[in-house]
Amino acid sequence: MILQAGGISHFYKNDVALDNVNFEANKGDFIAIVGESGSGKSTLLSILSSLLRPSKGELFFEGKAYTLIKDIDAFRQKEVGFIFQFHYLIGYLTILENIKLAAINKKSTYIDTLFKQCGIEAIKDKYPDEISGGQRQRAAIVRALVNSPKIIFADEPTGNLDSHNSQNIYELFKTLSKSGTTIIIATHDRNVSEYVDKIIEVKDGKIL
Amino acid sequence: MISLFFKALNRNRFKTFLIYTSITVAITAIFMITSISRGIIGMYSTMLKTEGDIIVTQAKIADTFFSDVNASLTSTIQKITGVKEVYALILGASPINDLPIAAIYGVSENRFKTYALIEGVYPKKGEVILGKNINARLHSPKFVSISNKTFTVSGIFENGVGFEDGGAVLNREDASAIFNKEASILLVSIERNTDANALMQHISALSSDIEAKTTHEFVENYNQFKIIETSSNVISAVAFLMGLLGIASLISITINERRSEFGILRAIGKSSNFIMTMVVGETFVITCVGFISALLFSKALLFMIAHIEKFQGYVNGQLSVETIITVFCFSLFMALLGALLPAYSASKIDPIILIQRGAL
Repeated sequence: MILQAGGISHFYKNDVALDNVNFEANKGDFIAIVGESGSGKSTLLSILSSLLRPSKGELFFEGKAYTLIKDIDAFRQKEVGFIFQFHYLIGYLTILENIKLAAINKKSTYIDTLFKQCGIEAIKDKYPDEISGGQRQRAAIVRALVNSPKIIFADEPTGNLDSHNSQNIYELFKTLSKSGTTIIIATHDRNVSEYVDKIIEVKDGKIL
Repeated sequence: MISLFFKALNRNRFKTFLIYTSITVAITAIFMITSISRGIIGMYSTMLKTEGDIIVTQAKIADTFFSDVNASLTSTIQKITGVKEVYALILGASPINDLPIAAIYGVSENRFKTYALIEGVYPKKGEVILGKNINARLHSPKFVSISNKTFTVSGIFENGVGFEDGGAVLNREDASAIFNKEASILLVSIERNTDANALMQHISALSSDIEAKTTHEFVENYNQFKIIETSSNVISAVAFLMGLLGIASLISITINERRSEFGILRAIGKSSNFIMTMVVGETFVITCVGFISALLFSKALLFMIAHIEKFQGYVNGQLSVETIITVFCFSLFMALLGALLPAYSASKIDPIILIQRGAL
């Protein structure tokens, strides 16, 4: 088991965002967390990816508690890739500079391979505001993949994309999961069911 | 990393420009206030310290301009062992021609040598030598009118001291007739290895109307200098504090606005130390650029002010290395404080919260 979460609860002041949630993922799983807006799926994804500390509960990565990981930033850089709905590329850096900023090995030829795989080699010297939404999202995917993480988290990765681009991204995730990368996405897109291995539905902060 | 500093600063040119301008203006203001007041003190000190180890003034007098010393003491003091030379000076101010006020120095003949002539000869009775600045201001006159008395201009001098170059020097006797006193001060030049303290006691004992101090001690304790220095220090401190608080808040606001960016950096695995280094680097770069600009602006402004004919060279700022270093250290400290506090507080927040709050 690569990821395990037990008794996760999270509160925003007095509001309960997550209520005693348990979660497990194995190597190569492609899991979709679905639910309505405000159901708690993004909060769960943020907690699982170590971007948010839960109010209660414990998380384990390959059997080791998150709280025992000495350098959580280095852990995020090496083991985790995160794709946001709004790409969140740094605006004053080119696409290539954004990718290199995240990369552990900045001279790796793997960066070029990823650019080709995602079909954005032509825009690597452009700035985020000079390219389309689809290209930005693919650049964000390259950034998430650049260190060959064991798990990729994606929050509404196709939220701003048309159906063609969405399909391409799901297919890319499917390929990655087949090669052993665990993919966990939060989405309200029900079409994801044809690609994923497992769907987890969240409602009012609880897994149904 | 270094290229990242510049890219980040370039990202928001307007805010970078605002911070740069604030730093430059604040530091220039400090430099101008301190250097002009230091310049006034420096010029007066230089004037007194030229061939003057000991200064003799009227006892218990607040200002040398009001001091009245018996000039006959000159010859008595001259006879004391260890005394090299004694100069009698009258320090006054009076209108000259159409100038409403100018410094007038009535000096004993042996003091003339301290005025470096660039033209003409030292003055005899009824003559004056003019400082280079006042001569230019009066358009190189042949005669000048001082307190309704006409004097022939016998020469022009340049000492490099604004107060002297902006004034007129005449015989002590002529000045005595204008200011109704024999001497304002006596300056005593002493031989090497002479015990200055013993000599001062000896001089002070000559008359209960006088007191003798080393020029160094006099300058350190001169009430007028203390007033100028204290006023300038207070004004500088207030300007400095306001300027630096402005810089710190502006940087702080700018850093706060970048919380979302810090959240993204943390999300892709960059450490808090990386972010802090980035912020420190950017702040250091902008503070240094602002500081260097302020230094150059101040030097240029002081040069211009010193050469404005209207000021007769009286405003001649002195920017000491000590002031430069102190201002740099404080500016950098405040700028870093303004940058590091929000960056540090951001580093303690979970990345996703930073991203969400920053995106709002």
